[in-house]
Amino acid sequence: MFVEFKAGGHTRRKFLKSASAMAGLGLMGAHLPGRAAADGHVIKIGFLAPLTGPVAAWGKPGLDGCRIWAEWINAAGGINIGGKMHPVEFIGYDNEYDPAKARTGATKLIREDGVKFIMMLGGDTWPGVQPVAERTGMLFSTLLPSDLGPDTTTLIAPAEVHPIYNVTGVEWLAENKPELKTAVMCAQDDALGLPSVATYLAAFEAAGISMQHDPLLFDPATTDFAPVVTRLISDNPDIVCLDTCYSDYVHPITEQLFQQGYGGQIISCTADFYDQMIDRTSAEFLEGFVFQFPDFDDPALNQPFINFNDPNKFFEVYNERHPGEWGAVSWEYASIMDLWKSAAEGAGSAEPGDVLAAMTGDGTGAHAFGTAEWWGEDLFGINNALVGNWPVVVIEGGKARIKEYKSIPEWYAKHGELLKKHMSAYGQMWDQR
Amino acid sequence: MPSQLTRAGLWLLLICMLLAVPHGLSFSQQEILVFLTINVLVVTSYRLLALTGEWSLGHVVIMGVGAYASALASKELGIAVPVAMITGALTAALVAFGLSYPLFRMKGFYFLIGSFAAGEIIRLLWKRFRDPFGGPKGIKKIEPMPDFDIVIWRFDFFEPVSYYYFCLVVVGLSLWIMWRIEKSPLGLTFHAIHWQDKLAESAGINVRAYKTLAFVIASGFSGLAGALLAHYIGTINPNSFDLEQMVFVLTWTIVGGTATFFGPILGCAALVILNEIVLREFGFEQGRPLIYGFVLILSVLFLPRGLEGLLQDFTGALRGRGRQGSRQ
Repeated sequence: MFVEFKAGGHTRRKFLKSASAMAGLGLMGAHLPGRAAADGHVIKIGFLAPLTGPVAAWGKPGLDGCRIWAEWINAAGGINIGGKMHPVEFIGYDNEYDPAKARTGATKLIREDGVKFIMMLGGDTWPGVQPVAERTGMLFSTLLPSDLGPDTTTLIAPAEVHPIYNVTGVEWLAENKPELKTAVMCAQDDALGLPSVATYLAAFEAAGISMQHDPLLFDPATTDFAPVVTRLISDNPDIVCLDTCYSDYVHPITEQLFQQGYGGQIISCTADFYDQMIDRTSAEFLEGFVFQFPDFDDPALNQPFINFNDPNKFFEVYNERHPGEWGAVSWEYASIMDLWKSAAEGAGSAEPGDVLAAMTGDGTGAHAFGTAEWWGEDLFGINNALVGNWPVVVIEGGKARIKEYKSIPEWYAKHGELLKKHMSAYGQMWDQR
Repeated sequence: MPSQLTRAGLWLLLICMLLAVPHGLSFSQQEILVFLTINVLVVTSYRLLALTGEWSLGHVVIMGVGAYASALASKELGIAVPVAMITGALTAALVAFGLSYPLFRMKGFYFLIGSFAAGEIIRLLWKRFRDPFGGPKGIKKIEPMPDFDIVIWRFDFFEPVSYYYFCLVVVGLSLWIMWRIEKSPLGLTFHAIHWQDKLAESAGINVRAYKTLAFVIASGFSGLAGALLAHYIGTINPNSFDLEQMVFVLTWTIVGGTATFFGPILGCAALVILNEIVLREFGFEQGRPLIYGFVLILSVLFLPRGLEGLLQDFTGALRGRGRQGSRQ
């Protein structure tokens, strides 16, 4: 099949057909999928993300959330495709945030397990998977829209438009704490940190907050953050911005800020496991900490425009099963599945092309935080990112609370050129990547 | 004569097995087979350096030098991929030659730390200079090996079986060259430097020159492995060649054993299959690092000569039984 006869060239459709036929016939050797796949009842969804290693915090909690989502959907009868109910099953593959392993995982999920859709964290792993996506036409999702480009036609970013939503936190700060005038920022020097740096710079500039010095980029292998923090707060800034640091950095940096006596405002993209940070510092120190990812027991998530099934119950079940593991991505992959389910049911098909067409057809989608639009040509070269409102979350009395939902498109309409300027300066526009 | 025939038969059997093996595997196992074949070249080249008694922590970074050089040569200069791969290997060898001057002023533990530092400097340069290295995100959309036809057969190098055969030829040839080196007077000199460097020096051997030669040759093959990797997955970044990957190479070498040519190959194959296939198959997806570590501790405790020692004991016992049988 691989070293093939000249006449037997592959087309996308043929490729997917033969893969599913092979899966159905059980010819996949040791990776034989469950028999249910062959009888057409179970719809399999791939979960290709780091489940071990330093980036696992943005993979494993998502898979745990998806399994709860699947239980609920299956308990309600499954996914309705063309009048027939199909249970759903998640197949995980640990890519260890390595592009080679991501390629292997994508191959397994598509050609052996016969999945209909693959969710990824993205980032460094996407370029390894992209040739597989191009060859097979499989629909993929990423949490990092910086993976998007004009040629990534089967890749969507439907949950979070990282790092663009970070502008909402800065905008909220400027409106609610206008006395804050100076900021500093640090970030790991990698694919996740740099676009976020550009975004925060644009947001601060738009808000009239001046940077005391250039963002401090540290090596991802850094473990001692004392000198980083000393340098950061040397000019006594009003705001310390932690960019999109991994939780392995957010925690020690926050501890250092506490130990070195910083008393100003902290803003960060994430604050995963913030209860642990409170344990190591104090509730008073973290009071007012601004970030972007809510706990789902927040009453503000029960508003009618929220497109996530019973968020409070989801949070409760999640914490019962995985105590202390709730993080930024615990709900995101499940919310992508809500969108996928709705599109598949609308299309009457689970085939990747049909679902993608149904999902993006009218230019809008039901994002977890309200109706949003498929957007992104300006920044990503393709309208495959779902953008709408995003919550601004603040720690109050030791608990994360949504303060306000703010519109990303509205901010972009006013300050889009600023964002493009800073993205270009950091080489993050799609044509520079 | 019969033993020569037996040996030829065994080689033929091995070649047939290597050609047939991907067809008995699943798609993802075929992908793993490609990476395993490339890793075999990495560990074997690592052993070539270890023959002189020096253990480096920069070998994977040197592999990265080959990957970056090959990727840039094909992407930026438009050089044909096979030629770019050779360019990658030569660049890695050249960089190793440059590094050898400061590094071989040290030996033993100091060389180990020096090689780590040199490797980190190279990695930081990749991160620092976005042009041409792509910074932390590395290089994407690296030219793949061009497909070609041989009579009625089409080699589509997106497919793991085609690329495996290509790697098999390249790696097989490389192993044969390294084997010939080890068995030549040059290899014996490497061994002499390892076990009695002062004695070798007193016999007129330029120890530093021979160590440099081993380092350069090993790095060239490591760079070739990097080039093979880069043109298959289509992307490389500085994290692909970090200390964690180096620890894997060290582990494969130690668990396999370094006394024989096949020791590190055995270690690499056994551990990759354990980690990437067996543990995943048995549903230990997330427990793999823990179990992998446990197996390593057990192997160090109970297999001090590595897996090659186990194999030698086994074949020794078979030979002994054969001799007993012929006497009776």
